[in-house]
Amino acid sequence: MTLNSDAISLTNVTKIFHTGVIKRKTAVEDLTFSVARGEVVGLLGANGSGKSTTIKMILGFLKATHGELTVCGHNTEERIARSFIGYLPENPRFQRFLTAHDVMKYFGRLLGMRGEELEKRIAHLLELVSLKHVTKERVHGFSKGMTQRLALAQALLNRPPLLIFDEPMSGLDPLGRKEIRSLIMRIHDEMPDSTMFFSTHILGDVEQVCSSVILLKQGRLKRQCTLDELLSQGDQRFELLIRNLAPSLHKKYLDAFESRLSAGGIQVVVDGAEALAAKLAEVEKDGATVASVNSQRKSLEDELFADTSFPLPVATNQSMGKSL
Amino acid sequence: MSLNIFRIAWIAVRELLYERVFYILLCFVALSLSLSLLLGQMTYIEQYKLTVDFMLAGGEISMVLFSIFAGISLFQKELTMGSVSMTLAKPISRSTFLLGKFVGQCAVQMTMVLGMLIVTIAVSSVYRHPDIASLAQTYCLIGFESMVLTSLCYFFAVNSGAITTAVISLCFFGAGHLRDNITQNADMKSASFQIWRVVKNLVPDLELFNSKPLASYGVTISSVEMGWAFVYCVICVTFFLTLASLTFNMKDIPT
Repeated sequence: MTLNSDAISLTNVTKIFHTGVIKRKTAVEDLTFSVARGEVVGLLGANGSGKSTTIKMILGFLKATHGELTVCGHNTEERIARSFIGYLPENPRFQRFLTAHDVMKYFGRLLGMRGEELEKRIAHLLELVSLKHVTKERVHGFSKGMTQRLALAQALLNRPPLLIFDEPMSGLDPLGRKEIRSLIMRIHDEMPDSTMFFSTHILGDVEQVCSSVILLKQGRLKRQCTLDELLSQGDQRFELLIRNLAPSLHKKYLDAFESRLSAGGIQVVVDGAEALAAKLAEVEKDGATVASVNSQRKSLEDELFADTSFPLPVATNQSMGKSL
Repeated sequence: MSLNIFRIAWIAVRELLYERVFYILLCFVALSLSLSLLLGQMTYIEQYKLTVDFMLAGGEISMVLFSIFAGISLFQKELTMGSVSMTLAKPISRSTFLLGKFVGQCAVQMTMVLGMLIVTIAVSSVYRHPDIASLAQTYCLIGFESMVLTSLCYFFAVNSGAITTAVISLCFFGAGHLRDNITQNADMKSASFQIWRVVKNLVPDLELFNSKPLASYGVTISSVEMGWAFVYCVICVTFFLTLASLTFNMKDIPT
């Protein structure tokens, strides 16, 4: 491991896929970012934004068309670079005939571990991920959550300084997600010097786990900042609950973005203090009353989809009625 | 590197023993050997010769099918299933992974060849004292041939899908046995013959591994010929596995 080098460093990385004889698809374009050691970084982006491509390039599964990628100071195409990485794939699969212990032993040996040291590490990690009771059972019968936890355990075998998780909570039920989330936090407590880099679609998890985020959009870096920076900036949002509105005016209010009809009245969301003042004046003019005004913290989801070019589906009373 | 090859090979052996395709092919082996016994009854004078002839042919076909389909199952399935990602995320080279799978499969194939040799000796001893040396030589050559086909199959499996791999490997098996016949009977002036002359150089000469007609007469081949067959096998396996490793190293793995 090269001292003082970043855990991950990408410089002008581009990946172009050949999708046909002439056709080309640029998955990632001119991507430059670095991840310092000890950080917990979330890689975010919509589907097709290049998250998985980026992770696979870091792991050396995909070759970058241009640019340079390093892990702990080593080029990702060098075999040694992977000795610093613990990887948890999105859908981990193991040979069905292996037991949990066999899986750990196999991967441990591939990492050059052996003997008592390996056995102790296996026992500790299986205990950590709560799989000690199924050590001798074949993975064939494991649930998705158990498989995910076993994959997490094998990623930690050689105490790697960089942990890469590709959508670690996807496909899990709320309890499974909570388990994995708390495991990630526990691992970070146990290995505070290790860097964690993970992609996910579940933004709430990022808000709870990450210290900083990297946002990708259409294969390009949109922004890299700390989570606090991301959430603190931008206009404040307010949610108004409007009552006693004449039915003929309902359409006017419901046509607005993110407004909806609720049991207590019509809920309208406005961005910023100026918009709030204008909306309050409008409500007063229309003879309605404002039952409540709630200040909302800007969520990560709002930031992520802030300038998407396509409209996000918003449930209005009309569309809700149709679907029901 | 070498130790990791054997670790992967051991998992590959266990994987094959757990695969349905292994048992289907094992049934095919048992069926072809049993049928040989029945077909031997069709003649009165040459029972030994006919039975051994059919058994060896059945053994060869079984090993050809096993090399190709087990190879596809072992290698392609791991790529499509995605389990390869966790192995290749460890500090091992792709060549090690490929060689590990190859060694594991060859170990199972050699065990099967040995099993078939024992069955053939046992069955043919019903008619007369079997020529163990010639049978052992022939099965040994079948083993060499299956190794060449396995390496060929791995090369195609790296570069194409399962069906294409199976079809091309079977075509190479056919062409490998018929290359001299095609060359002798082709119209030397035709354009297709010129193409064949190029293709011929890429197709391994599998007739070198064919001593079945001699074995059914109890005739052995010289140790020099066996040695050459072994050297040719090593050259072919090295060539195809090197090509497979080179292309696998350059390839993107979109797991």
